[in-house]
Amino acid sequence: MADQPAISLKGVCKTYRGRGADVVALKDMTLACPPGSFTALIGPSGCGKSTALRVALGLEDHDQGEVRIAGRPPAEATAGGITGVAFQDAALLPWRSVARNIALPLEVLGRDPARYSHEIAQLIELVGLKGYETALPGQLSGGMRQRVSIARSLITSPEVLFMDEPFGALDQIRRRQMNVELQRIWQETRSTALLVTHGIDEAVFLADYVVVMHANPGRVVDVIEVPFARPRQDALYSAAEFHALTDRIAKVLHGV
Amino acid sequence: MASDRGLASRVWLRNLGLLVLAWEIVGRLDLVAGGALPALSEIAVQAWADRGDYPDHVLATVLTSVAGFVIGNVVAIAAGVVFVLFPLAQRLMRGVNIAVFALPAIAIAPILVLTLEGMAPRITLAALGVYFVTMTATVVGLSQYDTRSADVVRAYGGGAWRVMRLVRLRGAIPDILSGLRIAAPNAVLGAILAEFGGGGRWGLGSYLLGSLGRGDPARLWGIGLTATLIAGLSYAVFAVVSARVLGSTRSVTLNTALPDPGPAPGPHWQRAVVGLATLAMPFLLWWAFIRLSGVPDLIAKTPWAVVDYLFLADTAPKAQEKLLAALAQTLPMTAAGMAAGLGFAFLLAVLSRMMPGFIRAFMPVALVTQTMPLVALTPLLVLMLGRGPSVTLWITISVTFFPAFVLLVQGIQRVPQSVLDVPRAYGASAWAELRMVSIPAALPYLFAAARLTAPRALLGVMIAEWLATGTGLGNLLNQSRGYLDYAMIWTVAAVSVIVAVVGYGLVLAAEHLTNQQ
Repeated sequence: MADQPAISLKGVCKTYRGRGADVVALKDMTLACPPGSFTALIGPSGCGKSTALRVALGLEDHDQGEVRIAGRPPAEATAGGITGVAFQDAALLPWRSVARNIALPLEVLGRDPARYSHEIAQLIELVGLKGYETALPGQLSGGMRQRVSIARSLITSPEVLFMDEPFGALDQIRRRQMNVELQRIWQETRSTALLVTHGIDEAVFLADYVVVMHANPGRVVDVIEVPFARPRQDALYSAAEFHALTDRIAKVLHGV
Repeated sequence: MASDRGLASRVWLRNLGLLVLAWEIVGRLDLVAGGALPALSEIAVQAWADRGDYPDHVLATVLTSVAGFVIGNVVAIAAGVVFVLFPLAQRLMRGVNIAVFALPAIAIAPILVLTLEGMAPRITLAALGVYFVTMTATVVGLSQYDTRSADVVRAYGGGAWRVMRLVRLRGAIPDILSGLRIAAPNAVLGAILAEFGGGGRWGLGSYLLGSLGRGDPARLWGIGLTATLIAGLSYAVFAVVSARVLGSTRSVTLNTALPDPGPAPGPHWQRAVVGLATLAMPFLLWWAFIRLSGVPDLIAKTPWAVVDYLFLADTAPKAQEKLLAALAQTLPMTAAGMAAGLGFAFLLAVLSRMMPGFIRAFMPVALVTQTMPLVALTPLLVLMLGRGPSVTLWITISVTFFPAFVLLVQGIQRVPQSVLDVPRAYGASAWAELRMVSIPAALPYLFAAARLTAPRALLGVMIAEWLATGTGLGNLLNQSRGYLDYAMIWTVAAVSVIVAVVGYGLVLAAEHLTNQQ
């Protein structure tokens, strides 16, 4: 393990100033994800987990503290093309085909999509959408759109991958299938991953570290290491030690 | 669905057939104003006799409209993009935008003829006709973009311009297309009005004016119907294009996030400076336009020259007297016509709940009039109603009534059935239902309609005055043109724009007050 964390937040504070009441979204948030690790951020609505991710990506400013992605400020890291991101909603451009949606980050970074046609084809195959290259998002199911969004997040071969509840809109069954696939894809790419979720089982199944947050003000209350060997299989969901760990996290989550 | 549509189109065809038949009978029997409304067959025969004249006139009008349409829309879309990227620019140009929306084209035509050459005055007026509609549609389309897609672009270090290029511009295309659809007939209208006000030999407007003196109803109607057909076709082309585009790329999910309204206004002094600059901007552009056109001061008058003429020079008392007399004739007429048109539309729309059959039959007619160059058909009304004051009133009513009626009915129909069911469930009478639901639901749309139609009403009155009644601002403009009284031409143009903008502002203020209560 290198000394420098791939994702590092130190003492980050962020307050939304509304009319009348200020909301403290993040209070003194510190987070360090070792390179190649998978970290899950979990907590109730309004605990600032999505805000933490948006601050780390430079989508929002913070009031205090230091944010570093692979040792660089967020704006520099994202413009340098070392990050990838998938949001809760697939957020595909409805007028672009699957292949051209996946190529979007390349265009933003000023790279020539034509030189990546091989990578695009590979990613489409990796997420199991071979044959849908020219389909428009409107012709795909919710799960398929989400896979396009995962493929899009990987097109730049990111060192650091951010995911904000990428399967939040899917039902439980499809979600578990997607989690198995996500683990496979992540293991192939060996990137550092940060996943924001409100599903305890999803967090435990996927992550090396589960970071538990509380709301009002948004803060980290505990970091729990997940010891299970990889690749993790579907059977893990019914294992006793899996349930013991999810119960422990649930207790931390509810502050008991 | 399919059979419903089939039935609707059969009813529509039947109504059209009845209309044509009624027109034919009325025309053949000379029932309207001693033959001022000829039968369709008579119009067709006359048009055939005139077939040698039509191509050059139609070509002139179409070329002007197309050139104005293209130029006006390029400027409008570029302006929309700039306004969205730089909200300060939008605030500064607000006065100019309202002036462009409200200005009576007929008042601007003579000064454009004085300052520009060849086809340029006509093209400019056609372009001014499309600018506001397309600019507004562009701003709305660009503002209502999918913030989630924008986040993806920003997450890879993309700035405002990248978001604009990759997400917002393409996403705004449906809105821009519906803007173009409404703008297209406006370009035709602008071209015809320029032909009214600017002279020149070719164009349907010139043809219409030239034929007015000859008093041949069938020819006038032929020209009027041709102009209407061209405007309607231009609308239809964009209706088809936008239906195609919308069909293929509708957004997949609904975005619940609202677009950022832009930075909050700064301290008081800063807002005051921006406000003053907004007021000064139209006059600054006016001054810049004259300086850039290089027209001598004798002909082209700067804002200062107009102030000098109207308030400081020896000519001031005389000029003021003429202007006030004209305003005293024009303004009451505009207000009366608007009140009548709006009132009638409100009454009919509110009662429409009780007469659904009437609405089904009448609404298509009202919608078709939206694509008609109504004010350009003033000569036809002059023909039917003579040159007295009643023609002014009727023009104003016709340009206010239809748009107001369409807006009001659409507003009332937006009231969900469940809201209607509540009073009904308690046994409310039709009158109680009207008082509690339909009237309050329609009221906001009455203001929107007033805002939309106030400039058109003034335009209608001025055209009638110019062409027929020989009174008011329109006549003063036409007379000054004849006397080569350049200062008065500029003064009347400026005053009529200011009157239109003030009228628009008054409606806005009334709307604001009502909303606060």
